[in-house]
Amino acid sequence: MSKTIEKILLEFDPENISLLPALKKISAAFGHISEKDMQKVADYFEVPLSKAYETASFYDQVQIKKQPNLVIKVCSGANCAMNNSFAVIREIENYFKIKAGDEFNAKVKLEIISCLGQCGEGPIMVINNKVYNNVTQSSVHGILEKWL
Amino acid sequence: MNKNIKIITKYWDVADLKKIKNYESFGGYKALHKFIKDKNSDKFADEIKNSSLLGRGGAGFPTGDKLEAVAGSGEKERYFICNLDESEPGTYKDRAIVDNDPHKLIEGIIILSLIIGARKAFIYINGNYGKQEEILENALEEAYKKKYWGEKILKSDYNLEIGIFSGAGAYICGEETALINSIEGSRGEPKMRPPYPTEKGLFGKPTLVNNAETISNISWIVIYGGEEYAKIGSKNSPGTKLFVLGGAVKKPGVYELPLGVTIRELIFEIGGGLAKGKEFWFAQIGGSSGRLIMEKELDAKLEFGNKDFSIGSGAILVVDKTTNIYDLLLSWTGFFRRESCGKCVPCREGTFRLWEIAKRLQDGEISEADKKAVKDILWTLENTTFCPFGKFAAAAFRDAVEKLKILK
Ligand SMILES: Cc1cc2nc3c(=O)[nH]c(=O)nc-3n(C[C@H](O)[C@H](O)[C@H](O)COP(=O)(O)O)c2cc1C
Ligand code: SF4
Ligand code: FES
Repeated sequence: MSKTIEKILLEFDPENISLLPALKKISAAFGHISEKDMQKVADYFEVPLSKAYETASFYDQVQIKKQPNLVIKVCSGANCAMNNSFAVIREIENYFKIKAGDEFNAKVKLEIISCLGQCGEGPIMVINNKVYNNVTQSSVHGILEKWL
Repeated sequence: MNKNIKIITKYWDVADLKKIKNYESFGGYKALHKFIKDKNSDKFADEIKNSSLLGRGGAGFPTGDKLEAVAGSGEKERYFICNLDESEPGTYKDRAIVDNDPHKLIEGIIILSLIIGARKAFIYINGNYGKQEEILENALEEAYKKKYWGEKILKSDYNLEIGIFSGAGAYICGEETALINSIEGSRGEPKMRPPYPTEKGLFGKPTLVNNAETISNISWIVIYGGEEYAKIGSKNSPGTKLFVLGGAVKKPGVYELPLGVTIRELIFEIGGGLAKGKEFWFAQIGGSSGRLIMEKELDAKLEFGNKDFSIGSGAILVVDKTTNIYDLLLSWTGFFRRESCGKCVPCREGTFRLWEIAKRLQDGEISEADKKAVKDILWTLENTTFCPFGKFAAAAFRDAVEKLKILK
């Protein structure tokens, strides 16, 4: 894997304007950015390691921790909330015995997210980048089982 | 008022405007040809000023004034940024522009950039808009081949480079100074203003930031003139506006209407009223940051400069009486807690505590101390935060307390 981080970096000019795009791309390619990789990013852009972390830690689409295999996101925007997305969230919490937002479980994580602009088809649920719409308290089990 | 006038959406359903040929067949890029032929940027800056076009990104600032500030700057290097970060919950109007008519946006970007003398323009797009990024890339490529941007635009001496910058999932990056920080490779936190971006923006250079919808009005103004534009809509708020209807309404979606239309007309005439069997409770104007409007206030006009509420992003959520208000409170407060950038304490702490209280409300465990705390937190958010995000975070909660009496 570490072969390609150099390759990804070379796609970018080593200028500040490319820092966030590079971080995003590396995070997407490997699931997260390890400390070793972050050092390579810092070296490449000639910024202190702390600066690379400072920027990276701000953005949802850049992960600096290893992510569980199963990342479930449920929209709680007002449209989805009106269509009972909180009931879906509670259902998932009970199913895995986890709490939304917690990071204690190494295998699965449930995140509450904001509107993805698909408000007419809510509740919207995203599992490892696959989007499900019109999810209900009762349909959610069937979907989750496909991922286990 | 002629409700049928369309500036932005006119040909959306007529043809696939993503193809440059189709866009051109409906008069597309004529405005750019006109601009290049005249080579008189002052004249077109005046047209935009005369149109009284107000920014559609939420604040309603006169586009002509901002443009003038950058165009008249003593600095040679200038930038133009199209704000396509759109992340207000319930809002997808800018995305609809890209999906339906990307060239209208690009044409506006080119003209505005040339007017202010920028040689580089950026489109800052919401990091979740992957498909729209692709549409824009293709459209830019087609436009480039036609010499609409790049070196020597339409054989003139004008040069312009256009680049797409994709965000990374932070609502606050829609705020223009945070957006600029983000392009510069920093945390997307708002900067102190003044200096305003028009003075010291991207890389410290004068920068014009405009919302994608604002920009989509430009080609029309160049062709028909500012005076014609100013006749549309309401007196202090000319033009049309894209509204996104959602919630318990029969026909949700994006609608273009002249500013000055009433909330009632929008919900009950255009949106077909409430879905079957549902009864109107209130409407929220402008996404999660928006105020709550009760039945007796529905005749208020949707326009900029309104004292009682801001039209914000143009999203309108229709809420019916069966809705669980605690779910909505949790939706709003959860959003602001997650998206607070953390730079200032009143917002970081205030949004967190409001969210905790919303959870206790949901669980029926609200205490007298909580009720008192709500008052303090709302006041603090409204009056002491570094950027307008704090006010946004307080708006709906305050109305829920005062108009819906959730704490009684
Ligand atoms: C918290 C916050 C979020 C914002 N989000 C957006 C946004 O998503 N899109 C946008 O165009 N403007 C947004 N704005 C407004 C911008 O700061 C800026 O005023 C606008 O892009 C200027 O363009 P306009 O004059 O064409 O409206 C936001 C402002 C604040 C305070
Ligand atoms: S008000 Fe909130 S979003 Fe704005 S600077 Fe302060 S912490 Fe950041
Ligand atoms: S509210 Fe869930 S997608 Fe918009």
